[in-house]
Amino acid sequence: MNALASSEVGKYVNDNFCSSFQKVATFKIVGGAKQGGNVATYFCAPDGRVLHAVAGPVDSATFLREAQWVVETTRKAMKDSDGDGGKFKAYFRKAHAQKLRDEFGLAVEPVTFDPPDAQDEKDTLTYRDPSGQPLAPRLPPPPIDGPDVRLQKDELALRQTNAAKAAGAAPVLDKRGGQWVLGNQGKVSQILAAHAMVKIEKVYGTVFENVLGEKISTKPVEVDRPFSWMEKDGNRRASAR
Amino acid sequence: MTLRQKGMALAVAAALGCGGPAVAKTPAAKPATCGEYGTSVQFEDTPADAARQAKKDEKLVMILHVSGHFENPEFT
Repeated sequence: MNALASSEVGKYVNDNFCSSFQKVATFKIVGGAKQGGNVATYFCAPDGRVLHAVAGPVDSATFLREAQWVVETTRKAMKDSDGDGGKFKAYFRKAHAQKLRDEFGLAVEPVTFDPPDAQDEKDTLTYRDPSGQPLAPRLPPPPIDGPDVRLQKDELALRQTNAAKAAGAAPVLDKRGGQWVLGNQGKVSQILAAHAMVKIEKVYGTVFENVLGEKISTKPVEVDRPFSWMEKDGNRRASAR
Repeated sequence: MTLRQKGMALAVAAALGCGGPAVAKTPAAKPATCGEYGTSVQFEDTPADAARQAKKDEKLVMILHVSGHFENPEFT
């Protein structure tokens, strides 16, 4: 809640977004016991297609930068696509691939065409949660081609050093087996270079499981408050004091 | 372009107000259903409410997915 408590973030978000929340049941098994707790923020079109995401808790400067990126990119995409939905989607996926190059020095080929969806919700082989609903699929990220060849060696090293300092930094392999580093936001850009403008119900599972490493156990559910210790008016709940 | 793509493009175009330089219109008066929950962000009660309001105000939608049973307010 640190980032969202910032008045600067609040003003920008309230000016440019309408916000809401859902609870996603996830857990990890640590020492035989269930543990879990994480957060992901999705910036979407009003029809629920995901334009961008912030995986995990971040500071207010990072949150504001990512929110500004999606608003600015949306403006440019609107201008560039001129009402063509296919061009809009392609623009956004290319923008995520470019973000990955600019911030982390790694290249992926954006996927600008979606094949027909193979998963049918009525398929008997589709796994369902206890409520009978199918869970979100784990969308495959596009493979990393390798480093951006236009970068000088020291520029690439600098971007990779920054990637190593990012939250959730972990080794990733490119197509040739070369080892690089990506943090949570780098992994989000990698995934969205192939899956931006996909509905949130198909993306959230990939963000929670592939990026944050949390196991999804049910679909997102609506709850009466996003933070269990906090009332709507901002006062702490009596039981949380 | 498929019918679905056209529909999506129109929805995004309508939501973002392609003509103007700013993405968002001036925020409308906040309905009583909103809450801030200790943040600086106004949250609608449900994602569907946020989507409806976003279409009306020509804004994007931000959805927070929170998981687990953590009690530490610093976490998010």
